[in-house]
Amino acid sequence: MLIRLLKAERLKLRRSPVWLAFLLMPVLPAILGTLNYLGNIEILSSEWYSLWTQHTLFTDYFFLPIMLGIYCSYIMHQEHLNHNWNKLFSMPVGRANIFLAKLISASGMVLLSEAWIGALFLISGYVLGMSDPPLGSLAIWCLFGTLGGVVMAAIQLTLSMFIKSFALPVGIAFAGGLSGLVFLSKHLGHVWPYSLMAYGMNSNSPQELIKSGYAQFVIICMVYIALFTIFGSVVASRKEMG
Amino acid sequence: MIRLLKSEYLKTRRRFVFLTAIVMTLAMLAWTFHGSFKGDTLRLGWMLLLYQMPLANTVFMSLLSMIVASRLCDLEHRGAMVRKLASAIDKGKIYDAKLLYGLAVVLFAVVFSWAATIALGYYKGFWAPFPMKLYLFYLLFTAAPTVVIYILQHTLSICVKNQTVSFFTGALGAFGGMFALYLQNLPWLRRILIWGWYGALQFVGLWGWTKESRYADAYFEIMPFDWILFGVLIAAGAAIYILGRAWFKRKEF
Repeated sequence: MLIRLLKAERLKLRRSPVWLAFLLMPVLPAILGTLNYLGNIEILSSEWYSLWTQHTLFTDYFFLPIMLGIYCSYIMHQEHLNHNWNKLFSMPVGRANIFLAKLISASGMVLLSEAWIGALFLISGYVLGMSDPPLGSLAIWCLFGTLGGVVMAAIQLTLSMFIKSFALPVGIAFAGGLSGLVFLSKHLGHVWPYSLMAYGMNSNSPQELIKSGYAQFVIICMVYIALFTIFGSVVASRKEMG
Repeated sequence: MIRLLKSEYLKTRRRFVFLTAIVMTLAMLAWTFHGSFKGDTLRLGWMLLLYQMPLANTVFMSLLSMIVASRLCDLEHRGAMVRKLASAIDKGKIYDAKLLYGLAVVLFAVVFSWAATIALGYYKGFWAPFPMKLYLFYLLFTAAPTVVIYILQHTLSICVKNQTVSFFTGALGAFGGMFALYLQNLPWLRRILIWGWYGALQFVGLWGWTKESRYADAYFEIMPFDWILFGVLIAAGAAIYILGRAWFKRKEF
């Protein structure tokens, strides 16, 4: 059933170039971050690690949360229009599965962005003449960033389901990204859902994720994802959405 | 036009559009004023704010324009309201009324943030006398890019039903603008991006700041006002308005 719902989600997004923004957005920090790295090469001496901080600058706090907010708003907004919730709920599918399918769709987009950010990082490094990229660390940054992004997507989907406006959940995502920065500066980034993506990506945040904290990070993300998926599904099953 | 503006007000009642503007402005002020002002930062306070605020405006005012424009225009896309309205009123007037109403909201946010910045400066106890003339120029150089960005966002939100287009444009633009300000070694970047114009019109430069001494030996200098860019900005605003209005009038909804 879930597979068919996922196919339906893909059909709804056909000819809608929202994925294009997720491809375009990381190109900007990659180019400009690389230029900035070149301009400050005497201060940024840690090669790949310094380049990573420049590539992910602002992305995790401001723009990936906003992009994710827009994407989640879009996939829920489609159902708010023309009483589509009524049509969707009259179909013989579980309401929890409907929410889950949307969450998996949004998670796929987060994974795509993270993989693209990673690929651009490697390309830039090689163009600059660096060698021996930290592939293991990069994989962890991108995977943990994805995990943190899925937490954010679960929250945003729940909010967008409640709020019929397109713009308001995006505003909340922006505020959430900002709050993430605040919590990271107070060294509480590991528990605040809007900080988890930046924390997992180990960008230039004031709080760094170290090896011993990996298990804790994964557990916290899983708990948040489960919590918001259950909450979103329960809301969907009890609420009159039409 | 007055009746159209009144109907805009009625349509947005309980939609918290002004509240959104206030909340985002307060968030911007919290971001700017967080941390403690003491010693050198109190001495340099007024000039320091003139130096720092363009970056905050690039992010917050750009995103506020994006959100307000979408809030006002999206409600017309539901239930084919544009088609219904256009049967009774000239489409150009609909475009103008919605634009004026939205501009009133974002300009309210600009003035509110300007006044609150000054009030907070006095509250923090900045030592130097308040440079009113410079702050009036700062107000002008904040309001003008905001107006141009709003006209662009309004045009995208009202002409393209799918709001992701205007949102992604706004978000990418704000992102580019923020980067353009951050990259001091690429000054051309902020001049070619509408969202970078907050920084391109910045007229306060910081010298003598180092990581070690921070603001101890730092000083600010007033740079020449970039009236040519200001003229380009006005022309760009007018061009986006004329093209956007014509696009809206021609488009079938």
